[in-house]
Amino acid sequence: MAEKIKVDDIDRSMYDFRYEDNVEDHLTTGISPEMIEEISKEKNDPDWMRELRLKCLDIYNKTRMVNWGPSIKELSVDEIVTYIRQKNRMKENWDEVPENIKETFERLGIPQAERESLAGVGAQYDSELVYHNVRKEVAESGVVYTDLESAMHDERYKDMIKSHFMKLVPPTDHKFAALHGAVWSGGSFVYVPKGVKLDIPLQSYFRLNAKGAGQFEHTLIILEEDSYLHFIEGCSAPKYYKAGLHAGCVELYVAKGAKLRYSTIENWSKNMYNLNTKRALVEENGSVEWVSGSFGSHVSYLYPMSILNGRGASAEFTGITFAGEGQELDTGTKIIHNAPDTSSYVNTKSISKSGGASTFRSAIVVKENAVGSRSSVNCESLMLDSISRSDTVPVMDIRTKHADVGHEARIGRISSDAVFYLMSRGLSEEEAKAMIVRGFADNVSKELPLEYAVEMNNLIGLEMNGSAG
Amino acid sequence: MASLLKVEDLNVTVGQTELLHGIDLLIDQNETHVLMGPNGAGKSTLGSAIMGSPEYTVTNGRILFNGDDITHQTADKRAKKGIFLSFQTPVEIPGITMTEFLRNACEQVSGKRMKLWDFRKKLKATMQLLEMDEEYAERELNVGFSGGEKKKAEILQLLMLSPRLAILDETDSGLDVDAVRTVSKGIEEFRRTTGGSLLVITHNVKILDSLSVDKTHILVSGSIAENGGSELVADVLQNGFERFINKES
Amino acid sequence: MENIKLNTLPVPTFRWLGVNFADKAVQHIDAPSAEIDFSDGETVRIDVRDSTHINADVPDNSTGTLILYCDADSEIRLSGSINVGAYSDVKIVQIFNGAASTVGGLRIKAADGASVRLVQLFIGGGQNISETDVTLSGYKSKLVTDIGYLLSDNDKLDINLIARHAGKKTQSEINVKGVMNDESEKTFKGTIDFLCGSSGAKGAEKEDVMLLGDKVQNKTVPLILCAEEDVEGEHGASVGRIDDELMFYMLSRGLDEQTAIDLLARSKISSVISKIDDEQTVKRLDSELL
Repeated sequence: MAEKIKVDDIDRSMYDFRYEDNVEDHLTTGISPEMIEEISKEKNDPDWMRELRLKCLDIYNKTRMVNWGPSIKELSVDEIVTYIRQKNRMKENWDEVPENIKETFERLGIPQAERESLAGVGAQYDSELVYHNVRKEVAESGVVYTDLESAMHDERYKDMIKSHFMKLVPPTDHKFAALHGAVWSGGSFVYVPKGVKLDIPLQSYFRLNAKGAGQFEHTLIILEEDSYLHFIEGCSAPKYYKAGLHAGCVELYVAKGAKLRYSTIENWSKNMYNLNTKRALVEENGSVEWVSGSFGSHVSYLYPMSILNGRGASAEFTGITFAGEGQELDTGTKIIHNAPDTSSYVNTKSISKSGGASTFRSAIVVKENAVGSRSSVNCESLMLDSISRSDTVPVMDIRTKHADVGHEARIGRISSDAVFYLMSRGLSEEEAKAMIVRGFADNVSKELPLEYAVEMNNLIGLEMNGSAG
Repeated sequence: MASLLKVEDLNVTVGQTELLHGIDLLIDQNETHVLMGPNGAGKSTLGSAIMGSPEYTVTNGRILFNGDDITHQTADKRAKKGIFLSFQTPVEIPGITMTEFLRNACEQVSGKRMKLWDFRKKLKATMQLLEMDEEYAERELNVGFSGGEKKKAEILQLLMLSPRLAILDETDSGLDVDAVRTVSKGIEEFRRTTGGSLLVITHNVKILDSLSVDKTHILVSGSIAENGGSELVADVLQNGFERFINKES
Repeated sequence: MENIKLNTLPVPTFRWLGVNFADKAVQHIDAPSAEIDFSDGETVRIDVRDSTHINADVPDNSTGTLILYCDADSEIRLSGSINVGAYSDVKIVQIFNGAASTVGGLRIKAADGASVRLVQLFIGGGQNISETDVTLSGYKSKLVTDIGYLLSDNDKLDINLIARHAGKKTQSEINVKGVMNDESEKTFKGTIDFLCGSSGAKGAEKEDVMLLGDKVQNKTVPLILCAEEDVEGEHGASVGRIDDELMFYMLSRGLDEQTAIDLLARSKISSVISKIDDEQTVKRLDSELL
C-alpha cells in the first residue's frame, strides 16, 4: 500500500492540434494609446467606447499588480499580441466558416453539440467571433444572442449596452480588468426578455490559436424579470511555446425573480495565464448558479463573484479544479450578501498532482443590512502525491448578528482502506484509485450538462484509468 | 371550570403544506390521553404546535390552556404556564451541563430561586429513580448521550419541571425493554406525585401497559378519525389503523 | 524607525478584505526578558503588567504549567520564545484581562513526543493583537489549543495562530469559541500548515462565534496549507445566530430567549476557562468577571 500510484496527467493531445495561421494583420505587441485608437477604429467603436478604452488604458498603467496569489512574473503583457483579427467576418451559416477554423471546431465537437442540444452557439477564434447561430424559435421569443460588437451599433440594444458595459466590473477593479477594458474584443451579448424561460442552453466557445495571443472577450448577459437562462462557456487553446494571456470579462445582470445558470469548462493550454473576471448582480428573489471546471492554464486567478443585491437573492457555486504538472490554479468564489434574506451555497473540490498547486480562495461577506442571510461553504481537497500543493484560504466577514454562516473544509489523500476495499472486489490498485478520484469529482460533473460532462470525461475520466489505459 | 387544554378547530401548516386540518382536543386535569395514528399522520406536528414550535404556523383555530389563549405565545411562555414536550430527538447543547441547564429552567418555570443544595438533592434523587449515572448531571446536555440516555434525560427534565401537562412524543421508540420499564416508572411517578395530565403520542402500546388511559384519539392524515376510551387502544393493538384509514376515504 | 506589520496572514489574500495584517503596526522595542525555569510539575504564575519577553527552555521529560496573566493599565508587549524538550508536557495559559491594549507574540517549538497545551482567553480591553506560532518539529509532537474571547463595546481583537507541522505524525487541534457584543471587531486567523515531510500528520481547527451585538464585525480566516500527501486536515466555522431547533428546545423548557442566549454565551467562555485547570487563576478570573 505504501507504493504511490501514478494517476496520469490529463491527456491533452486531443486539444493540442492546431493549424497554420493565416493572420492578416498582427498589430505590434505592447499597448499604446495609438494602438487602442487603432483597435477602436477597426471595430468602428461608438465614441463612448473609444473613450472608455483610452480611460481603461490609463487606469491600467496606473494600477499596481496583484501582490498575492501565484506568480505572474513571467507574464509580459506588453509582448503579448493583444489583438489578432481574422480576416473573416462573422458567419451565420456553419458552411461559410473558413475550413481551417471549421475543422478546429469540428474536432472540438462544437457544431455537433449545437445540432444535438443547444439553443444557440457562438464560437470565437482568437479575438473575433467567427460563427454565430441561434435557433429560430429561440429568436422568436425575443431572446437576443449576438456578438457584442454588432449589438453596440444596433438601435435596439446600444443604450442597454452602454449602461451595463463594465459597470459591474469597473476598470478600477484590478489591473487586468483595466487591460480588458482597453483592448477587449469579441464576446457575446445575451438578452432574455421578461418571463422568457429558455429550457435549452446557449453556448459559446472560445479558442486561442495564434502564438502569444491574448484573448479579451467580453460577455454581457442581461436577464429581465422572471426569466431563465443556462449559458455554457467553453475555452480551449492549443499549446505554444510562448505564454498566452486570457483576460476576459463576464458581466451578468439577473433581475427580480430571474434565474441564471452559468457553466464553464476551462481547458486552456498549460502555458496560458488565465486572469478572468466574472461577476453577477442578482436582484430580489433572483438566483445565479455557477458551475465551474478549471483544468487548463499555467496560472489561473478565477473567482466568480455574486453580489446578492435584493431581498431573497441567492447564489450557488459548484467548482472543481485539477492542478497537474506545472500548474498553479488559484480558484474560488466571492459572495457579497447585500440585502436581507439572501443565501449562498458553495461546494468545491480540488485535486493536486504531479507537482501542481491548487488554491481554494474565497470571500463570503455578509453586510450589516443582510439580516436573515445564510451561507454555507464546503470545500474538499485531494492530494495525490507529496510533490504537489493544496491550500485553502477562505475568509468570512460577517457584520450582522442575524446571519447564519457555516464553513467546512477538508484536505486529505485517497483512503487506503477504500483502495483496499475496492481491490478486494477485484479492481487493480490503479483502477481503484481512479474510481475514487472520479467519485470525488462526481458531485461537480453531475451538475454539468451532458455534453460537458462528456468533455470532462475526456479530461479526467479516461485518464484516471492510469497506466492501464 | 375551564379545561386544562382545549384545542379548537386547529389548522397547522409548514411552508405551503397544511398538515393538520381542524383538530379539536380536550384534556382535563389529572387525565391520561393517548394520541395514536399511522406514520406521517401529524401526531408530532400536533405536539409541537401545542408547545409552540416556530416551524409550524397556525392558520386557523385556537389553543387554550387553563382558559388562556396561548395560540400565539412563544414556547417559553407556554412552558411557564405548565406545558412540557419531550422531544423525539432531544437537541445536544455543548458547553452547558445538565445541572446548569435544569437549574436555570426550574428557576424560570417556578419563578423562584432555588438553593443549589436543594436542587442538587432533588436532581440526585430523581436520577436514582431513573437509574441514571450521577455523572450525567455534570455532562454537557445530551452531548454524546445514547438514544436511551437521551430519553431518560427528557423524563428527568419532566420530573424536575413538574408541568401540568406533559406531551410525550414517542418517548418509548427505540428503547430496549429495561429502558422502557425505567421510563414508564418515571412517567408513573409524574402522574402519582403531581397529578399532571399526560398526552402520550405513540404508535405502539408498550408504554401504555403501566398507565391507566382515560381517553384515546386516533389521528389519520391530519384529522381526528375517532375519539374513545382506553378500549380503543386494545382495538388498535388488535386491528391496526386500517379501519380508520378506510373510514377516512 | 520602520513599522513592523503584525499578524501577517501566512498566505495573503484579497487586499480589500483587510485580513493580511492587523490594522495596527508597531515599532521595535527592547523589552526586559525573563527566563522561566520549568521545574518539574510546577505551576509558574506571572502577572504581566509591563512589556516583557519570556524565554523558556523546557528540559526533556518534564511537565509544567506557565500562566501569564496580563492585566495592565497601559499598552504592553508580551513576547516569548519557548522550546519544549522531548517528551515534555507543558501547558501555557495566557489571559488578557486588562484595561489596556496588548501586542502578543509567542514562538513555541516542540521536540519529539512533546505535548503543548495552549489556553488563551481574551476578555475585552481595547485592542489586542496576538500571534502564536507553533512549530511541531519533533516526531509525534502535539498541540492542543483552546481560545476563548468575550468582546464588548469597541473592543478589537486580532488573533493569528499558526500550527506548523514539520515532523511526522504531528497533531494539532485548535478550538476557538467566542462571544461578540456591541460594536466589537474581531479577526481570527488560524492556519494549519502541513510542511513537506509531515507525513501522518493530522490537524483540525474549529471556530464557533456567537454574535450578539447589532454592529459587530467578525472575520474568520481558517487556512489549511498542504505540501504533503499523507495528512488529514479539516476546519470548520460556525458564525451567527443560534440554531432554531436548539432555541425551541430551550424555550420549551421554560427559558426565555435572553436567558437561553446568556446561558449559551456563558458556556462558551466557561468551557475555555475549564481548560485552565488552576484553581487560583480560575478564582481570580471568576472574581474579575463578575
